[in-house]
Amino acid sequence: MEHTSGLERALRGVALALIVVFFLFPILWIFLMSFQTNEEILRIPPSPFFTPTLGNYAALISGKLTTVSGTLDIAFMRNLWNSVLLSTASVAIALVLGVPAAYAFARFKFRLGEDIAFTLLSFRFAPPLLVLLPLSLYFQQLGLTDTYAGLIWVYQLIALPLILWIVRGYFEDISPDIEHAYRVAGHSWWSTFTRIAVPLAGPGIAAAGLLAFIFCWNNFVFALILASADKQPVTVGALAFVTASGIQYGQIAAAIVLSVTPTLALALYAQRYLVEGLSLGAVKG
Amino acid sequence: MSAVATEAPAHRRRTNWLPYLLSLPALIVCIGILVPFLTAVYYSTLRYRLNLPAMKGFIGFGNYAGFLSDAAFWNTVRVSLEYTALTVGVELLFGLSIALLLQKRTRINDAISILLLLPLMTAPAIAALMWKLMTNPNFGVLSYFVQSLGVKNFQWASDPESALFTVVLVDVWVYTPFIMILLLAGLRSLPKQPFEAAALDGVPRRFVFTRITLPMLMPYIVTAGLFRLLDSIQQFDIIYPMTQGGPGDTLLVFQVRAYLEFYQYTNVGKSAALLIILWAITYALSNVFIKQWLKLRERARGLA
Amino acid sequence: MRDRAKDFFTAFKSGQVSRRELMLGAGKLGLTAASANFLLNAAATRAIAADFDWKKFSGKKLHLLLNKHPYADAMIADLPNFKTLTGLDVTYDIFPEDVYFDKVTAALSSKSSQYDAFMTGAYMTWTYGPAGWVEDLNPWIKDPSKTNPAYNWDDVLPGLRASTAWNGVPGGALGSPDAKQWCIPWGFELNSITYNRKMYDKAGVKPANNLPELIDTAAKLTKDLGGPYGIGVRGSRSWATIHPGFLSGYSNYGQRDFTIDGGKLQAAMNTKESKDFHKMWVKMIQESGPKNWSTYTWYQVGTDLGAGASATIFDADILGYFMDGGDNKEAGNLGFHAFAANPAAKAPTPNVWIWSLAMNSFGAQKDAAWYFMQWASSTEHDMFGARKMDFVNPVRASVWKDDEFRQRIAKSYAGYLEQFDASSPGSKIYFTPQPLFFDVTTQWAETLQKMVAKQVPVDEALDQLAASIDRQLKDAGLG
Repeated sequence: MEHTSGLERALRGVALALIVVFFLFPILWIFLMSFQTNEEILRIPPSPFFTPTLGNYAALISGKLTTVSGTLDIAFMRNLWNSVLLSTASVAIALVLGVPAAYAFARFKFRLGEDIAFTLLSFRFAPPLLVLLPLSLYFQQLGLTDTYAGLIWVYQLIALPLILWIVRGYFEDISPDIEHAYRVAGHSWWSTFTRIAVPLAGPGIAAAGLLAFIFCWNNFVFALILASADKQPVTVGALAFVTASGIQYGQIAAAIVLSVTPTLALALYAQRYLVEGLSLGAVKG
Repeated sequence: MSAVATEAPAHRRRTNWLPYLLSLPALIVCIGILVPFLTAVYYSTLRYRLNLPAMKGFIGFGNYAGFLSDAAFWNTVRVSLEYTALTVGVELLFGLSIALLLQKRTRINDAISILLLLPLMTAPAIAALMWKLMTNPNFGVLSYFVQSLGVKNFQWASDPESALFTVVLVDVWVYTPFIMILLLAGLRSLPKQPFEAAALDGVPRRFVFTRITLPMLMPYIVTAGLFRLLDSIQQFDIIYPMTQGGPGDTLLVFQVRAYLEFYQYTNVGKSAALLIILWAITYALSNVFIKQWLKLRERARGLA
Repeated sequence: MRDRAKDFFTAFKSGQVSRRELMLGAGKLGLTAASANFLLNAAATRAIAADFDWKKFSGKKLHLLLNKHPYADAMIADLPNFKTLTGLDVTYDIFPEDVYFDKVTAALSSKSSQYDAFMTGAYMTWTYGPAGWVEDLNPWIKDPSKTNPAYNWDDVLPGLRASTAWNGVPGGALGSPDAKQWCIPWGFELNSITYNRKMYDKAGVKPANNLPELIDTAAKLTKDLGGPYGIGVRGSRSWATIHPGFLSGYSNYGQRDFTIDGGKLQAAMNTKESKDFHKMWVKMIQESGPKNWSTYTWYQVGTDLGAGASATIFDADILGYFMDGGDNKEAGNLGFHAFAANPAAKAPTPNVWIWSLAMNSFGAQKDAAWYFMQWASSTEHDMFGARKMDFVNPVRASVWKDDEFRQRIAKSYAGYLEQFDASSPGSKIYFTPQPLFFDVTTQWAETLQKMVAKQVPVDEALDQLAASIDRQLKDAGLG
């Protein structure tokens, strides 16, 4: 790459610019839309000029949605909070369960080990609906219907296999010699695991956790079926702006912007872990 | 493999229970999921509509046999496979190209790679909503652009001719960044020596790409492809909010059909049978990928 | 202050104070218009409290499942009165229509006791009833110890009472003597034409009187207006595409969804008349419908009319009503017109949609739930909704006779009452009640989409549809 010509550099620049436009334009447009009134949005032809209003955000944050037929209460901020709670708790639990298991599969060859690993991975193969249909019945019997605990359990289907898969690869790539030396020095297995193995695998665990968080946050179908209005996350809550007396486009746009912001902030904060964490062994196995 | 050798034999007896203890909690949590899975298998062998309780009865493979002669079923198989092949194919190609463009560590490249992650942060169901707004024929900005370019009557998701294109476009928008980030991580972690050697020998760049870069990147490509394949064949989040499987039966993929069979027609038996077939297809396709992945891993280990 | 205000409103109710004085007085008491409305109804609510132990379940808590709809809004606005009247606490989950019915199915199919009562349509009870998810309400309605003496069930329009009762036999007549009352009518809509008077004047056309005329009018509007399209109808891949304008027109040509022979159903969409009707309908959409018709639901049809993107809709009368008010761009410009699609027909035959209240069979406090249901469908609440909120169309005959309600509508919604009076005699549910309702209507919508997209010729598509439905009927033991 040291010998790139000027023409090639120009072409690369153009290609990158086009790519950035393709991926970012929709978000920019929705962002602009969120500051417009319904009337401005419905203008034909569409125009980039408008008087910005914060009304859409005010309606979402205060939870008061004004429609033709009066004011509606919308617990959008609560939905947002639910998303934070569900995703954080799910990933935290998946890490507590998944990292030791990943370590076990990476460091020990034990009877049925590969079978257990494969079984855990294969939960990703099951179509979500296949599990959901009977599960809603069992949840009723177990009293888990419409509880955070029930939802967090189901979210393990998304988070756990992902964390196992990535973290296991990461552990396998780290030479066990250091741990071995530490053990020989007389330290317990547990302190070897917590003091040496986990810190060494830190970037991989962070990357896996971040990806799992994104996938939990973005989940739609589990929450659609299993959660009631006060437990549902934003992915389902964003549908609430379609009312019988009209579609509130500006508020939908504002809701989209608000629902993307937390994952975005997290990703910006942790982005260095994503590329670095995924690059070492993790994915290539 | 090396892990076994390094586990000191002296500890072996004492630590034998350890791996089970470590993996058991994860397994127990997931086993709970296995029960509904088996229930669904049982349901799929029943004639079972919730609103015709008197008709409920065991019919063995009746639901499955019914699909063989059902043109609508084969349409679902075809649409699902088409959707999967298109999305996974396009996203791999596109994601690889972007990763190659961004391979060099510069401040601009790093900034762009972070910006490109934005669509991945957008939930697919919400992305579908966004694109629905943008392709609205009255005020949608994309419809306006397309019209300004002189293309009349391009109707995005509401025309059977362009519906598949539209949902694939949304899928590509959401998930290409996922592939891009995995492949970028892969590219940046490749060892430097083979490339330096090739550069010294004056090997043409295309040759370097096909003979060195691509083979070394293969494990990453296979993993990325596997994860996308699993999601793509089970597509629901984008198609259902955008068209509910329409227009006509153009986008009636497995999960959308199964969802309608259950939540609208309350046909539990048929819905479960559809999903079991989807599970079998997913399992078979994933096995191909995982075998490939294991083979590549063995080779990589052998080389190392 | 609260008591003083209450006395004041009671005085108004009994005619001692005029409405003007009331509003003045309310202003002095520092009440806003909204709380004035609420207190006004508080007086009415206390009036129904006589001779009935409303407090029997005081302290219990009800949980409702509601669709985001003006009817629900009106009920929620009046809810404090119910709480005071009964001492019951009421909470609710409210979902948009896109996912509402899936939520209901999800809750009921898992035998959830979470919700005591919920909103539904009559068609849905053809699934919920046989599945054992909802209660037959006759035992409650007919029991004087459970229903307050002022309830007056017979005041509910007879057509609506019949349409929400079914004996569970596939093809059985609605409202037959052995029918079970699966739900209580709450508010309803029938299908007619709503048009933009300004646009019609501009193009120099009059509202069409039948389908062939409508096709021409819509085409002329599309051509002359240069922007807005002529006619909005629904087109998404869903049962909701079939039941409004489409089925109303279809029935007007004397066509049925099924024929019944010896208890066996047979699909009837492939008669010659049906094929001709479908051809006209498809032509109308192709020539003058919305460009992305195949994604159109209630929301898009309405939003376009309200925003001036369409000149006409053939859909629910109340959809036109909502678009004629509020902050819609075309508010005040809309006109209403009863519509008989068949030039040979004497009167319109609108298919109706009835928002109703149903009782969850798995609920743990059914008698208390019935307290809510009888209050929500009482004359007092219906009257409050019709006068003060957008609770149109009310289901009680006495409300339709109320001057205040009629004057409010006549003043702000030109031609609405005339439209209603001409449409309502022929209005009822024109579907054959049977358990495969959603399978059949979804496939019917799918077939319409294919015909409009010119993927299959109309004749061939309808033969295929009928054959496919007959096969499914046979599989289900109905055909």
